[in-house]
Amino acid sequence: MEIFKAIMIPTGLLFGIAALFAVLLSALGKLMQVKGDEKAEQIAPLLAGANCGGCGYPGCSGFAAALAAGKATVEACAATSSENKIKIAEILGASVTESAPTRVVVCCHGGNDSLDKYEYMGYGDCRSMELLAGGRKVCAWGCLGMGSCTDACHYHACEVGEKGYSEINEALCVGCGACIRACPKKIIKRIPKDAKVYVACSSRDKGKDVRAICKRGCIACGACQRACPSGAITVIDNLAVIDYSKCTGCGLCHEKCPVKCIIAL
Amino acid sequence: MSVNEYLLIIVAGIFVNNFVLAQFLGICAFLGVSQKTETALGMGFAVIFVMGIASIATFAVDRYILVPLDLVYIRTIAFIVIIAGLVQLVEIIIKKLSPALYSALGIYLPLITTNCAVLGVAIVNVEIASYTLLAAFMNGIFSGVGFTLAMLLLAGIREKLRRSDVPEPFKGFPVTLAAASIMSMAFVAFAGMV
Repeated sequence: MEIFKAIMIPTGLLFGIAALFAVLLSALGKLMQVKGDEKAEQIAPLLAGANCGGCGYPGCSGFAAALAAGKATVEACAATSSENKIKIAEILGASVTESAPTRVVVCCHGGNDSLDKYEYMGYGDCRSMELLAGGRKVCAWGCLGMGSCTDACHYHACEVGEKGYSEINEALCVGCGACIRACPKKIIKRIPKDAKVYVACSSRDKGKDVRAICKRGCIACGACQRACPSGAITVIDNLAVIDYSKCTGCGLCHEKCPVKCIIAL
Repeated sequence: MSVNEYLLIIVAGIFVNNFVLAQFLGICAFLGVSQKTETALGMGFAVIFVMGIASIATFAVDRYILVPLDLVYIRTIAFIVIIAGLVQLVEIIIKKLSPALYSALGIYLPLITTNCAVLGVAIVNVEIASYTLLAAFMNGIFSGVGFTLAMLLLAGIREKLRRSDVPEPFKGFPVTLAAASIMSMAFVAFAGMV
């Protein structure tokens, strides 16, 4: 009986306090309800609910409030599906300008094929490595493979594989763009969703220099430019650049590229 | 309790036993919300407010329920429940009655429900046997004032630091921690006054 009392009294007391607060809180919550912004409340469930912060607002509810207040446009969110965006636009009474769907790619496939200038033994990710003489790679442009993008991605869509460079898993990626902002080398880029090829190199170094330090780097030979039947590829600043408005997706550039830095998707 | 003792509570709360700089409690909020003097002040007022009401509620529960029932060992958990519940309650009420105050306290009110400084003041209150309900309330309020003072001072320093030429490795957090430690040493000068 003693023990029973010693357990039941404190348990009962704590339970009592908690129950009291629960009743008070729920009663007061109903009684004192303040109408929030109705629009924001309608919008919030239509958003992706990922809280990725890709829009620049603190979470989806913050973005919904900004939308309702007219401070933001729905295009700022990449994760929300386009049908929901249209619904949100209807709530807001605004028209949504359909932006073409995009996918995200890492424009460097150097990785282990790109030479290191030193062995990094410090702490942290690409951004801390970048502070140390621009990272471990001899190439000043390429992927450092330390996974700043991996850390930034909420969807586990971005991993540094065995090849030593970061890769985007298209099946998991929602296109929020967190990795694009996290990358210190700025080599993660958006391309049209239906693109068939992309240039997996960001080096603006001369072809000879690139060949000396990386097996997968663009050597600016111009083979792709000559091969392209629609004139969509030009070599600018020692790097092949694809104009996706002209690209037909024939894949000839991929075939002709001697270092295979033009990747066929 | 005499007037002198209340005076002592005020001085001790603000300077001698300053929660942040002498007792090392509430560091999270101290470092997290001291970027700007405005937000530091907002947070400070929220802390004063919560410490005040939490002191009254926890002191009353301890003195009139836990001690007579010989249950002082569940103090910590009981206090956490009480403080969290109370703050939520007050938040709902303020939201309805004074939207201006609600938006001034903003996000800080719910944030400090489980702040260790708030729990700290509740526990300090009940451990001093001579305290009355009024003394506990005053200790809560003026500990909050001390917290606000420390926050404001650090926020001012951080605003200045942002404009000054700090060596790269010390930029941001390291130099803030160094500044906070020097402030803390300055506050040691008050030790022994009470």
